Amino acid sequence: MRLIDLARVIRSKNAGPLHLTLDILFADAAGYDRAARSPALAAPAIASLYGVDPATVAVIPFPAAHALKVVLDRPIVAGSPGDADVYGAQQHRPLLGVIL
Amino acid sequence: MSVVGRLLDRRLGPGQPLRVLSASGQLGNGIPEAALQAGLAREPHVIGCDMGSIDPGPYYLGAGRMATSPAITRRDLRLAILGARQARVPVLIGTAGTAGAAPHVAATLDLIRGIVREAGISLRIAVIHADMDRAWLKAMAAADRIRAIGAIGALTAAEIDGAAHIVGQMGTEAFLRALAMEPDVILAGRACDTAVFAAVPLLLGYPAGPATHMAKIIECTSLCCTPGGRDAMLGTLHGDHFDLESMNPARAATPLTVAAHSLYEQADPLHVQEPAGTLNVAAARFEALDDRRVRVHGATWTPATQPSIKIEGSSWIGERAVLLAATCDPRVIEHHAGITEGVRRIVAEIMPGETYDLRFRAYGSGATSLFPGAAPMPTPGELFFLVECIAATAELAKAVVGVAKQNLLHFGFPGRLSTGGNIAFPFTPPEIPAGPAYRFSAYHIADCDDLASAFPITLETLR
Repeated sequence: MRLIDLARVIRSKNAGPLHLTLDILFADAAGYDRAARSPALAAPAIASLYGVDPATVAVIPFPAAHALKVVLDRPIVAGSPGDADVYGAQQHRPLLGVIL
Repeated sequence: MSVVGRLLDRRLGPGQPLRVLSASGQLGNGIPEAALQAGLAREPHVIGCDMGSIDPGPYYLGAGRMATSPAITRRDLRLAILGARQARVPVLIGTAGTAGAAPHVAATLDLIRGIVREAGISLRIAVIHADMDRAWLKAMAAADRIRAIGAIGALTAAEIDGAAHIVGQMGTEAFLRALAMEPDVILAGRACDTAVFAAVPLLLGYPAGPATHMAKIIECTSLCCTPGGRDAMLGTLHGDHFDLESMNPARAATPLTVAAHSLYEQADPLHVQEPAGTLNVAAARFEALDDRRVRVHGATWTPATQPSIKIEGSSWIGERAVLLAATCDPRVIEHHAGITEGVRRIVAEIMPGETYDLRFRAYGSGATSLFPGAAPMPTPGELFFLVECIAATAELAKAVVGVAKQNLLHFGFPGRLSTGGNIAFPFTPPEIPAGPAYRFSAYHIADCDDLASAFPITLETLR
C-alpha cells in the first residue's frame, strides 16, 4: 500500500533552526497501526530515503494523534548560506513515494 | 485598583475557571477582529499575544527589523491593548517585534506610545529585556556551562563578540516579576511562547503542568482546530484540567486536532523544555465536550534542578545580491551543472583575489531539497537559476552576479544550439541587491543561576 493513500497529512517543518521534523498523520488508529508496524517507516528506511546516517534519525510514535514523527538533523542551519528551505516546509517529498 | 490587583482580588485559583484569551499567535499579521470581540465578550481574565518566532530565519534578529508591516502591527497592538483596557484585564505580549532584541522592543514600544497618545489614555507598561549580557555569556562558555542544541558550533567568545544581537528566551519567572509591578501591559523581548499564557495562571496558584500545556496549545490561537486558523482561542483552566474553544464558531477543536497540534514544530511531542522545568504530556487525555470544544487532563510538570536559558544569536556575514534567470532549452538543462561550474571558473579568473560566496541554485533539478542524498528529480522541461552571491560589500556582490550573468548567458558547451543566449531574464535588471545577510551563530542552552538578573524589567507610564 502507498503511504500517500493511507496518510491524511505528510508534512515537514523546522523544530528550531537545527532540526527538521516530518509528521505523518493518519485518519484512524487502524491506519496508524499499519504504518507504525511497517519497516518502510523505521529509522533505517527513512535514513536511506534521505541519504543520511541512521544514527541521526529518530522516529517517535504518537498514537494519541494517530501520528508518527520523524526528527532529522538539518544539514544546514536554517537561513545560513546554502540553506534552501528556511522554514523546512518542503522536505517531505522523499516520503511521498513510500510503499508500506 | 490596578488590573492585576483586581485579578488577585477575585479569589481565583484551582477549582475556579480561569479564562485565558489568546488574541494572536503572530501579532502583526492581522488579528481577525470578529473572533477577538467574541473572546472579549466571554470576559477573559487575561489576554496574551505572541509576536515572534525564530522560524523566519536569522535576518530579523540580526538586522533588528520586524518581519511584519508597521501599519498592521500597530493595528493589532491597538486591538489587543484597547481590548484589554475595555475588559480591565492585563495584556501580555511576548517576543516583541519578531525577534525580541532591543531594537524590536524599542520599535514595538514606539508603536504603543503612538496608540496611547492617539487614544488619549495613560498606560503602565512593564518592559522585560531579553538581550543577553555578553560578559556573562563568555564566562558561562568558559565554564563549559553552555551546550549546543543540535548541529551548530560551540559558542566561542569570538562568536559572542561577533553577533549582531543575542537574546535569551525568558520563561514565566520574568513575567511573574513583571506582574508583581501591577502593569496594564507587559511587553517582553524574546520569550517562550508558553510563558506569555502560563504566567497569570501560575500567579493565581494554578498547577504548572496543565497551565503550561494549555499555554502551549493556545499560543498558536486556533491552529489546533479543524479547519485550523488564526482566530482568537479561549483556554479555560479549572485546575487539573482545561477546556479549549475557538472564538470563531466555524473552527472546531476535536480530541484528534488538539493532540495532533502537540506535534507541530516540536522535535519531541511528549516533553517541552522550559527555563524552569519540563512539561510532560505523555499521559495527557483529550476528551470532546461537544463537537467543537475539548477538555484536556493529565499534563505534569517537573521543575528543573538547574534553570537554563535558550540563547539565540545572529551574525552579519555580508551583503547579498541575486540573479534571476531561466532556461527551457533541453541541452542547457542537460548540461547545466557543467555550465554553472564553468561560469564559476570564469568569474574567478575575471575577479582574482576577491573573496565572495557564489552559489548557483537550479530549480527544477532538486534545488529545494536540503538532502543531497535523497532521490534525484526527474529531468524537467524548464529550469530556473537563482544565482546568489554574498560578499563584504553590496557593490562586490552585485559585480559578481553581474559577471556570472553575462557568462551564463553566453557560455559555450558541446552541442550548444542556443548561441543567442542560454537563459531568459524575466525582467531587467535581473541582478538585484538583496540586502544584508545573516546566519544564526547561537542556538544553545546556557545554565543560569539567576534568571531574574538575566531579564531586567523597566516600568514606564505612557501618556
